[in-house]
Amino acid sequence: MKCKVCSREVETLNQSGYCELHQNAYQRLQEKFDVWKTASNIDWKNYLQEVVRNPLTGTWAKEVAQNLLLSEAP
Amino acid sequence: MQPHTLIITEKPDAAQRIAEALDPQGKPKRNEERSVPYFTLTRDKPITIVPALGHLYTIIQEQGKRSDYPVFNYKWAPRHEAEKKANHIKTWIQVITHLAQDADNFIDACDYDIEGALIGYTILKYACGDKDQTATRMKYSTLTKEELEKSYAQQMPHLDFPMIEAGKTRHEVDWLYGINISRALTTAAKKTTGRYTTLSTGRVQGPTLKFLAAREHTINTFVPTPYWSITAQARIGDKTYPVDYEKRIIEKQTDADTIVQACSGKEGIIEQIEQKTTQLPPPTPFDLGSLQSEAYSLFGYTPRRTGQIAERLYLGALISYPRTSSQKLPPAIGYEAILKGLEQEPAYKSLASELLQKAQLKPWEGSKTDPAHPAVYPTGNKPKRMLEEPERRIWDLVTRRFMAVFGDAATKQSMKATINVNGHHFYLRGRQILSSGWMKYYKPYARSEEILLPSIKEGQTVQLTRVAREDKFTQPPPRYNPSSLLKMMEKEGIGTKATRAEIIETLYKRRYITDERIIVTDLGFDVVQVLRKHASSVISVKLTRDLEQKMDRIQDKMEKRENVLAEAIDTLRPVLDEMKRQETIIGQALTEALKKALMEERTIGTCPTCQTGKLMIIFSRRTGKRFIGCTNYFNNTCKTSFPLPQTGTVRPMRRMCESCGWPLLYVRIMGKRPWNLCFNPACPQKAERRKRLEMQGLQPRS
Repeated sequence: MKCKVCSREVETLNQSGYCELHQNAYQRLQEKFDVWKTASNIDWKNYLQEVVRNPLTGTWAKEVAQNLLLSEAP
Repeated sequence: MQPHTLIITEKPDAAQRIAEALDPQGKPKRNEERSVPYFTLTRDKPITIVPALGHLYTIIQEQGKRSDYPVFNYKWAPRHEAEKKANHIKTWIQVITHLAQDADNFIDACDYDIEGALIGYTILKYACGDKDQTATRMKYSTLTKEELEKSYAQQMPHLDFPMIEAGKTRHEVDWLYGINISRALTTAAKKTTGRYTTLSTGRVQGPTLKFLAAREHTINTFVPTPYWSITAQARIGDKTYPVDYEKRIIEKQTDADTIVQACSGKEGIIEQIEQKTTQLPPPTPFDLGSLQSEAYSLFGYTPRRTGQIAERLYLGALISYPRTSSQKLPPAIGYEAILKGLEQEPAYKSLASELLQKAQLKPWEGSKTDPAHPAVYPTGNKPKRMLEEPERRIWDLVTRRFMAVFGDAATKQSMKATINVNGHHFYLRGRQILSSGWMKYYKPYARSEEILLPSIKEGQTVQLTRVAREDKFTQPPPRYNPSSLLKMMEKEGIGTKATRAEIIETLYKRRYITDERIIVTDLGFDVVQVLRKHASSVISVKLTRDLEQKMDRIQDKMEKRENVLAEAIDTLRPVLDEMKRQETIIGQALTEALKKALMEERTIGTCPTCQTGKLMIIFSRRTGKRFIGCTNYFNNTCKTSFPLPQTGTVRPMRRMCESCGWPLLYVRIMGKRPWNLCFNPACPQKAERRKRLEMQGLQPRS
């Protein structure tokens, strides 16, 4: 199976559908949400939008955030 | 030819310097045989001095195909047998062999380090017919007349064989790693893509790329988090000064707003004033790494460029041998004589004179040592030719650093006043240099920013004029640049002072990294991923460092080269077996990144007509010709195209034309000087050039 974001292979045990590199970025996004919530009282969707907009966000983290926004869109 | 002494040097410039130093009149005869220069002179007996051109011999595969791996059979052979473009080496070796025929005494005068030892040894052994056992050795750190004469008079009775053994082992181990892993990667990629693309890695290159990839990984997965800080200004007398809030990081926006509200426009009281005086010792003398790092931060020169400039200054007898890891300056180099020499140079006259007045000249030294050479220092000689600007800068830097190490410690005073505003604390900080000490010798390179404060006392009232909240985000770790990467390699103990800068250049050449603030490309990333999965031991920093230490121990006669070579082969064999078994998987893992790299190589930039497509170098299957075309051609929305030269190499320069702002191309055709091509037919520079050529009655180049 190919990664939802890039064309790299997804490891068989990985349920998220991301390759190893994007999976790491996904984990970082989940970890940092708590810090954002405490700091600015923000919800998940707004958090992802902020992360996508921020020029300091890493390329893979941004790609995953964009992918999540698209997949979670109503 | 009559019987003579044959002296072998590493480079032509060194041969000339040595010849001029040894000739009683300083005017040796310059000869040439089939374009190979050599010098003759008579001292106690006739002497011939012939240079090499760096390494004339290298390692080649003894038997088997060029694509085979694993390959563990090798031999030392003339460089032209391994490199297509090294045909001149054949003539060079033949001339040395000819000059050696009538020689009855052989002296190796190559640079005194591992590479120099190996260059001299291979020439004496292979080109001169096993003269390595009887030859003597000249050892010097500068190419000044005095030192060269002394080195000739006090020759070492034989070559430094432990150093040669260490050099041979290093080259052989590097060859085994490089050739085998590179062939494994290239073969795997070719199997899947059907195209031949060189994918190289090496014993040091792999772990270095792994470091960079780890940093890239952290940067690419980085998620910034918000925090806040407080900026404020305090009025003292009729001036305002910036003050720092007691906490640098405030984690909640509401907390930051509360502080701003509590302190805005309020008065505070100076609760405490702390003063501290510190001594700043002089910098240590330059070893190659610290010189490269300083030149990068001051002038932006890459480590490789600094190394090349320093080498030229050494060959011009202006500085000592630069490929050193020593931070020591032994008295034997003659501090006084050097400073007296510098006194003759107007720019250094007063500083050198001042140092010569000191009761004792004692340099401030670092901890690093090098058994072969002292730290880099100026010889005190004046330049005999006009130095180019980069040469002048490096010479000036080395000279001023040399003088600075003899200076006294500088004294710095720092002051911190704590201001209490409504229970919140702000700090007013100042610093000044009380005595400049060594700094005056190292101007303008000594950096010390002074912040002078007015006279204040405890209990004094201070008005905060501006208190504001600043919204901030955490930052990803910085990218490496060539200088910080070199420092990191040095700290980790991988590579040698002579090879680190070259390894960084190779990573750029192989398209594994780009930009000055280093970005690892997809290709670089995937190569590391492949090596991590299938050949983890060859990119292990620990194993690389251990191997490095073992090779160093050969030089100290504490390790045998046979053991080190056997260990290298034992490490490689299972790795290569695994890579061979997984060739298809490895090939697939590299394919996408290779395709992307090839596309990037052909992409020139945004199409100036449609502004949405990309201009690319396209090869027409129908006509077999190449041209520039827009990618939007394929969806019928843009037909922009431009012609290209049909011979030679064309590649995007990633730079814009200064005249019209269009992307530039680099064109190289055999037998012609390469040029930068602006393909904009309406470029004003092109029109000007055409007009100029027409006026001269010449045909403009298309």
